[in-house]
Amino acid sequence: MKIVVAGGTNAAEYIIKKFQNSTNELVIINNDRANAEQIARDNRIPVFYGDASRKYVLEAAHIEDFDVFISVSNKDEDNYVACLLAKKVFGVKKCICIVTNPNNVEIFKDLGIDSVISSTQLLIASITSETSLETLVKTMAFEDNKIVLTEVGIKANFEICHKRLFEIQFPKEGTISCIYRKPRVIIPNGQTMVLPKDKLFFVSSPADEQAIINFITRKAKE
Amino acid sequence: MDRNALLKNKILVVGCGRFGASIASQYSLKGKNVMIVDNEASSFDKLSENFQGYKFVGDCTDISVLRKANIETAKEIIIATGSDNANILIAHMARKIFDVPEIYVRLDEPESETLLKGLKIKAIFPFELSYDEFERLGGNK
Repeated sequence: MKIVVAGGTNAAEYIIKKFQNSTNELVIINNDRANAEQIARDNRIPVFYGDASRKYVLEAAHIEDFDVFISVSNKDEDNYVACLLAKKVFGVKKCICIVTNPNNVEIFKDLGIDSVISSTQLLIASITSETSLETLVKTMAFEDNKIVLTEVGIKANFEICHKRLFEIQFPKEGTISCIYRKPRVIIPNGQTMVLPKDKLFFVSSPADEQAIINFITRKAKE
Repeated sequence: MDRNALLKNKILVVGCGRFGASIASQYSLKGKNVMIVDNEASSFDKLSENFQGYKFVGDCTDISVLRKANIETAKEIIIATGSDNANILIAHMARKIFDVPEIYVRLDEPESETLLKGLKIKAIFPFELSYDEFERLGGNK
């Protein structure tokens, strides 16, 4: 992959470390001279000193056929303009940026940035997933939240517990992808029995997720 | 929604530098309904003494601040913060999210206009205008 990393100090260095290998081609753009020089010294990759939200700087860096443009400066508006220029003027396939204001995640996506990451939002997502351990439900979203993979911990008092899958009228809106039963992963078939402490993973659309969770966690009648 | 809330009749000026302050002051002088926003309260010192409009402190690159400044009821927005990138972002929100009828943007770099093409956003370049004036006065002959 051909990757441009624009702006940032620690974030830029970390990304370089993670992506620098024989299959990736990296180009760095940084508008802090000391930082740019440091990166150039430490890594054998091209470093351009300049503001990545300026067209002539991107021109100098020759990013036309790059696959990914990552903008990690600490100013949301600078990341926004750099990403849009990379995409609209230079045709970079995918642009990604970080934002300090979590409100900007949805806004920037609406305005044409492919991926927008807010550390505050990630922090909250992580707290939410920690607390949902109590209810034993974890969710992972794909394709901009159009598909979700949900994990539900099975308890002995659930109606579906101790039943084989063919006996369960599982909602059509989702499919059970796998069951994790320590220490192994089971790809289920009709004969598979749901047992307490299983972790059941299903795929669905976000709209149907809650109804399916409700189905799985329905308590058996006394 | 309240019908009056949809009536676009206000003028919103973003950024109270010399340029934003003088535009807001002129509009106010003409009795127009004008709101000016800046992230520094002290910037409002530049407004004329007779300024009758509304002042609001906030960072307009945040969409929630634009909403609080009643952008939804603006018929015209003049975007003149000190950062071209902030101005472009605000202009894009004003056009693509709120569809403000008239959008004016102040830009330092002529190159910055690239991202405004086709969006019916009018750009003003003070430095180019200054140069034009310099030539008009007889400079660079």
